[in-house]
This record gives sequence, C-alpha cells and structure tokens, in this order.
Amino acid sequence: MKILHCPLNGPRNISEFVCGGEVVEMPDPGAATDADWSDYVFGHENARGTVREWWFHVPTAYWFIAERDTGTDEILRTYPASEIFGRVPP
Amino acid sequence: MAEPASYARRSFVYRELAACGARFGGVAGAAVALDFGEPGTERQSLARLGLCDLSPLPRVGFKGPAALDWLRARRVLGLDRDNRADMQRGGALAARLAPTEALILGNLTGRGNLCGRLETALDADPEPGCYKVLRRDGSFHFLLGGMHAAETMATLCGVDLRARAFPAGSIAQTSVARMSMIVIAVSLGEIPAFHLLGDSASAAYAWGVLVDAMTGFDGKPVGLDAVRDALGNGAGPG
Repeated sequence: MKILHCPLNGPRNISEFVCGGEVVEMPDPGAATDADWSDYVFGHENARGTVREWWFHVPTAYWFIAERDTGTDEILRTYPASEIFGRVPP
Repeated sequence: MAEPASYARRSFVYRELAACGARFGGVAGAAVALDFGEPGTERQSLARLGLCDLSPLPRVGFKGPAALDWLRARRVLGLDRDNRADMQRGGALAARLAPTEALILGNLTGRGNLCGRLETALDADPEPGCYKVLRRDGSFHFLLGGMHAAETMATLCGVDLRARAFPAGSIAQTSVARMSMIVIAVSLGEIPAFHLLGDSASAAYAWGVLVDAMTGFDGKPVGLDAVRDALGNGAGPG
C-alpha cells in the first residue's frame, strides 16, 4: 500500500485520500469569459514534472496540498493549504 | 430491566445489544446496556477483550476558527496539539481533532456534566466562529478494551495502534473496516482501550464488524458496568 503523509494526521494509506486536481487560480468571476471558465473547470495542464495538487483526507474531511512528480508518481511534499492561501478569517 | 423503547434516547444498536442478551438501565436519561447477564465476569472479559456501546452517553463537538479559544475560556484543559486527547478534572475527555475542531466525551461514571454545561453556554451566548457538532446524534461511540484490543484493531485498520506507537491520549482519524472513524487510546485503570466514533448511520454495521473481529481473540460484548468497574480500580480517563 502506498503511503501519503497528511499534514494533519501523519502517514496514512493512500486509500484514505482522494485527489482534487491541480491547484489553479480561479478567474475573476466579474471579468472571466466563457472560454476562461471552461478552461478553469475542464482544462488540465497534464505536464510531466512537479505539479501542485489538492488532496483530501476522507476520514477527517481535510483538504491540503501535495507536490507530486507526475513522471515518477512520487509525492515530494505535503503541506496545509494555509501556506498558500493564508488563514481563513473567522 | 428497563425497556429501551421506553426511553426517548437509546443506542443506534439497541436491537443488536438486546439480541446479545443486554440488560438495560437508565443513564443520563438514556437506555444503556449495563451488562449482558454476567455482571460478575464481564470485568474479566473486558480485561481480555470486550466491546462496550457508549452511544447513548453525552458527547459533543465544537467546530470553527474560534472553537478552541472558546473552550479554553471555559477551562477545558489541553487542546494544545492536534490528534491529542486530554483528561479533564471531572473525568471527561477533551480531544483536539484539528486546529478548528474539538470533541468532548462525557465522564463514563456518570459524574459531572461538562458536555451539557458547554452546550448550554453556547446556546445561551452564541460565539461567532464556534459551532456545535451534535456528536451524540451523528456519531456512534463504542469502546474496545482489553489486552487484545490493539491486535483486534490491526485486523481492521492500517494504523499501528500498539501501545508503544499509540499511547493513551493519542488520536487517529482513519479508516477502520472501510469506515471513517475517530480512534482515541485511553487506559481504564490497567486496561488499554480505544474509544471508537463513526457515522451513526453505520453503527449497526460497525458493531457487527467489531464483534466478528473479536471472535479470533475470544472477545465479548460487555456492559457499561464493567467499564465503570475498571475505571473504579484506576484513575484512567473516562
């Protein structure tokens, strides 16, 4: 069983996780064209190399970020989403 | 013997318990399986391997960016590390599940009412960023205890729950028998045990899976009296 390190829960079987796709910036809802939205929702870079992805730990409903090499399928680093997006205000 | 259906609150698995010969009594306004007809020997059964249903007992969760600070302001101890549970002065257990979530398990001996006091306080004076999670309705609560508890869990779960890797106070939020569960290690006096909490909709399935897993180690369902007896002989968290 492949092991993925969850930033909240530590090492867990990969079967406890779901991949949420690449981390991409959402277009400005007020200015985006249909093509922009289509690319945001359906388009994937799918490049070989290191990608930054959303991953979800199902038992805790916890979303975090993983950097993965798409060539070797090796998880290089995992960290809380707050490292990129900051703390959500109360 | 009390009839479970005569109580407004009863376990999600009270039919399964009754089928195993449970004798019920009223605790905290709910029908709880106190023993399974062998009150004198269930303490010994628990020392080896026993499964106790605690679902009708008080428990509550709090969630939100202000939840932990709100609990600390009400003298809830610990809550300083994720996935760590701390015993409270009144015998309740406070578990920090995430930087924004905590779970309170009431005292199993029936003393104290931390869950009720916290719920009443938040209802009376709502705090922005702190929300109640109705764990007593949404989650089943079992306790698997005994010298073979970790071995039994090893047949259902990928996390190493042996005492040297997972001492009392540790929490694993993980998959157990393909269900998402919260596993909290505690000591009932000398007896190692795990609190197990999961989706109440899966309670009957989880009870059956755990009873089946125990058969390899001669485990049995035990009543709340056996757990209270074990707690009475030690200072373990309840």
